[in-house]
Amino acid sequence: MSKRVRPLEITKSVGKNILVILLIIYIAGPFLWVMSASFQGENELLKKPPSIIPQHPTTDNYRYVFTGKVPTSYEVKGQLRSRISQEARLIAPALKNSFIIAFSVLLINLLFATPAAYAFARMRWRFKGGAYNFILASRLMPAIAIAIPYYVIIQSLKLMDTHLSLILVHSALTIPFSIWFLTLYISNTPRDMEEAGLVDGCNNLQVLTRIVVPMILPGLVAMSAFAFMTSYNEFLFARFLTTSISSQTGPVIISSISGNPDVSYSLISVCLTLGMIPPIILAITMRKWLTEGLSSTITFR
Amino acid sequence: MNRILQVTTILFVIAMVVSGCATPAAPTQAPAPAATEPPAAPAATTAPQQPAAAEPVTMDFVVWSYGIDTIKDNIANFEKMYPNITINLKDYSWLDYHDTMVAAFAANNPPYLLYGSDHWLYEWASAEWLAPLDQYCPNTADYSKELAPYALTGMTYNGHVYGLSYYADTTDFMYNDALLQKAGITVPPASLDDIYNQAKELKAKGVNEYPIIFAWSQKEGAFPEAWTSLVFAQHEGGNAMFDANLNPVFNQEGSAAYQVMEWLRKVYSEGLMDPASLSTAEIDQIKSMQAGAHTFTIAPQYNMAELNKPGSGDFAGKFKIALMPGPSHSDVGYARFYAMTPKVVEGGPAYIDAACKFMDYFGGKTDGDYKVVKRWAVENGLGFAQLPLYQDQAVIDAFSKWGDVPTIKAQALKARAKEGMTPWYGSWDTFARAEIHKGILGEETTMKALQNMADKWNELKASGG
Amino acid sequence: MSTTVSSAAGTAKRRGNSNGSRGSLFSYASITPALLVIALFTIYPVFYAIRISLFQYILTKPKSHPFIGLKNFQEVVTSYYFKDAVINSVVYTIAAVTGVMLFGLMVALLLNSKIRTVTLLKVLILLPWAIPAVVAGLMWKWILNSDFGILNGILYSLGVVRSYIPFLADPVLARLSLVLAHVWKEGPLAAIFILAGLQLIPNEFYEAARIDGGGSLRVFRFITLPLLRPILLVVLVYETMSAILTFDIVYVLTGGGPGDSTSLLSWFAYAEIYKFLNLGGGIALSIIIALITLMLIFLYMRALRTEDTIS
Repeated sequence: MSKRVRPLEITKSVGKNILVILLIIYIAGPFLWVMSASFQGENELLKKPPSIIPQHPTTDNYRYVFTGKVPTSYEVKGQLRSRISQEARLIAPALKNSFIIAFSVLLINLLFATPAAYAFARMRWRFKGGAYNFILASRLMPAIAIAIPYYVIIQSLKLMDTHLSLILVHSALTIPFSIWFLTLYISNTPRDMEEAGLVDGCNNLQVLTRIVVPMILPGLVAMSAFAFMTSYNEFLFARFLTTSISSQTGPVIISSISGNPDVSYSLISVCLTLGMIPPIILAITMRKWLTEGLSSTITFR
Repeated sequence: MNRILQVTTILFVIAMVVSGCATPAAPTQAPAPAATEPPAAPAATTAPQQPAAAEPVTMDFVVWSYGIDTIKDNIANFEKMYPNITINLKDYSWLDYHDTMVAAFAANNPPYLLYGSDHWLYEWASAEWLAPLDQYCPNTADYSKELAPYALTGMTYNGHVYGLSYYADTTDFMYNDALLQKAGITVPPASLDDIYNQAKELKAKGVNEYPIIFAWSQKEGAFPEAWTSLVFAQHEGGNAMFDANLNPVFNQEGSAAYQVMEWLRKVYSEGLMDPASLSTAEIDQIKSMQAGAHTFTIAPQYNMAELNKPGSGDFAGKFKIALMPGPSHSDVGYARFYAMTPKVVEGGPAYIDAACKFMDYFGGKTDGDYKVVKRWAVENGLGFAQLPLYQDQAVIDAFSKWGDVPTIKAQALKARAKEGMTPWYGSWDTFARAEIHKGILGEETTMKALQNMADKWNELKASGG
Repeated sequence: MSTTVSSAAGTAKRRGNSNGSRGSLFSYASITPALLVIALFTIYPVFYAIRISLFQYILTKPKSHPFIGLKNFQEVVTSYYFKDAVINSVVYTIAAVTGVMLFGLMVALLLNSKIRTVTLLKVLILLPWAIPAVVAGLMWKWILNSDFGILNGILYSLGVVRSYIPFLADPVLARLSLVLAHVWKEGPLAAIFILAGLQLIPNEFYEAARIDGGGSLRVFRFITLPLLRPILLVVLVYETMSAILTFDIVYVLTGGGPGDSTSLLSWFAYAEIYKFLNLGGGIALSIIIALITLMLIFLYMRALRTEDTIS
């Protein structure tokens, strides 16, 4: 490599940087717009063209969602309908429901998928191939076709409108992927430590918990992130299986708000912004682990 | 020792799972999963011979998302009157409502009480998802007498009345008077040609880029009402779409539907109608009208309250209703109503009694007054079909703030229920929307689009749904 | 590289055999909980689906559900929408998968390079993947709105367009908009997958190539691409499946319109059940979609296996 900077290199680097900036705008633009909108009044958002940066920033929208105090800009006269989607106030409890459900799904995935993946990756037993194919194939049917039978099952278990119903359904949706992912991950880790453990008199469970789990930690983190996100974001079953406002999850409430004739874009923005916070935190903190987890998983064959 | 611990843990885990799974055999054995036979109603076993008035009854009530705080308040008041009755509220987005309820019914998990709409009534009643109200609640007939005909038609299936009106409204032609005057036009349009000419004028003078907008996205519930209103206005008397035997009459050159489609094609291709109409739903339609982006639109009448609300935009107070442009000025009136499901009937007398009390309170009279209906009209500007309310001073005062009561009433008297209300209307409507889009976009000729719609209708009719 | 990995896996497998019966009980106990949860939500629904698809199950006719064999399948295939929906689905799948793959590859290569600005991209990249599809759909619907969408606002302010564009009301633009939103939502995960693959390529490979005088394009063509092939195939399988099953984003953004222009097969499966109330027909169509997916997976797996024997 010569130290002289060649013009071609500079053009290339500038070009690449511009490309990266364009990509950043494409990726982050929608988020920034929604956040900016959540600090604007409704009439500002309906201008042509709307301003990207709030001209008269206000926290009224947030105050309404959390305290029920109607934003002054709406000039509600108490008479006629106002552009207030009252459901906006339900977003905080709904996100709490989403979080409880998604976190439970994550725990169940860890608890159920880890030993299963270990058995698939390391053990030898009858019906192993069959069980593996069954688990993978279980996710083939489009969700809309199996929604009604799912409904029937939940109902006969008398679990309608409970967190447990969504926890079960979301677990069934995520465990197959988790097992597949972890099985590949474990297959790619060396066995020597486990062998040593067995020689030292550890039993299988001890080998799993004391040797394998610490070794596959990045994979477990990646898997947990997948399970959590899938559950936190799921809409169709959440819509069908909850029957009271207090048990609805974030996506269901957000969809309700957006279809309300009284919808206000500024209040939707608040709800979207609030709803995005947990996944965003997760996405940013998990990215490194996720890449690492994936790297180790995909060296299969 | 360790081994015992290990086995116990696993057994515990398995026990946890199995305990949750012990019953799934039941649905597998059920002969008809989607089914007609109801689940054992919780109260059925406990219902005594004659229900004591205070027997506690809990019922769920499903609505689409609108005015949730008002509904909750109404429920609280109702529960105060009848301490033994508990109502659990549940709401879905209007855009998801029909499909979500279909899933609930198909999976045999109906609510007790819910909102219904005239365009789903035939579908839901023929599927036996709703219970005929007049069979169980004796007051129904008295309320029916006071209804505008279009609303009663909209709630009647096979000679039975299935609900009490939550609100009922007409689909009205609305215009922005300030913009019209800006173009030097003083008289609002009275025919399709008028709209066309005035729109051309508005565009030429730079008042609007697209003077006309409709809310005709695939998913907008009020699409068929607005389109059919245009057709009704071009046609004198009944049978604008179907004859008395439900055979299509719209698929002929020169029919009202033909004129409307040709006109739509013209205003679309000449850039008078916002092309975005095909992806617009009511919410955005009203917001863009408020912003002054368009001059003419057709929407449910209650939107006038929002359009003219002081402070809602630069044009608040400038929006007006004109009778639906066309020789007959007829339009579509529709009814949204409170309904109950067979689950109430299976619950026994206590549930029927509680449901009828609910109906009386929400859709009927309390102390001789349409209390809840009136509240919606006064506070939210929702229309109503209970004719006595037109004489109610509180209603007149409230409506006068944003609208012109004589025109509203005149349009309401010309309103007709949609034609072709059948169990297959929903299927046909989904198909027809796409054909109307294709006709407007010019992907198909008017006759081709109308013929396709007629063929589909005949096919659905032949198979009875 | 691949040889070492596969031989390691091979050794592991072989040695695993020696574990024999000792782990057998443990294995069954290990998989039982997971298997039960999955079985609970697989066996009955699939049984139910197959059963319903063989009966006439029209919800508005609650009294008669005659057995009609494969007639539902025949009716779906000969229905007015089937041909157009297949074409729409194929076009959409090809466009979406191509878009996601190109986006993923480009982003992964950039993330793997040492440009300054890339740090920020690295932090942000996973955001679209992490948020609910409903939220993503709503955001894009609003951004693309033709009355007060911000995209129109920006284009208008910059003088690129003189009047707002009806992105979702024009048959061609609506399709493009769907792909734009799809790539935004799905591309990031593909990028991270491919990035993970890139990071597995040892630096010596590149250095050796550079010493041999290979330009960066040649390095990419002859070193990076061949080594990435397996991971690209995995991403391809995953993305094809998710493109074929796309439903949420169509449901929120266009509802299948304008006309039928964005009505995919999965949309009609939904419409058959929840709008036409033809449960039998809708489930038959879903089974057809599942079979198409299965077939594609088999084809890809075969391609993967050929890949294996070649290396």
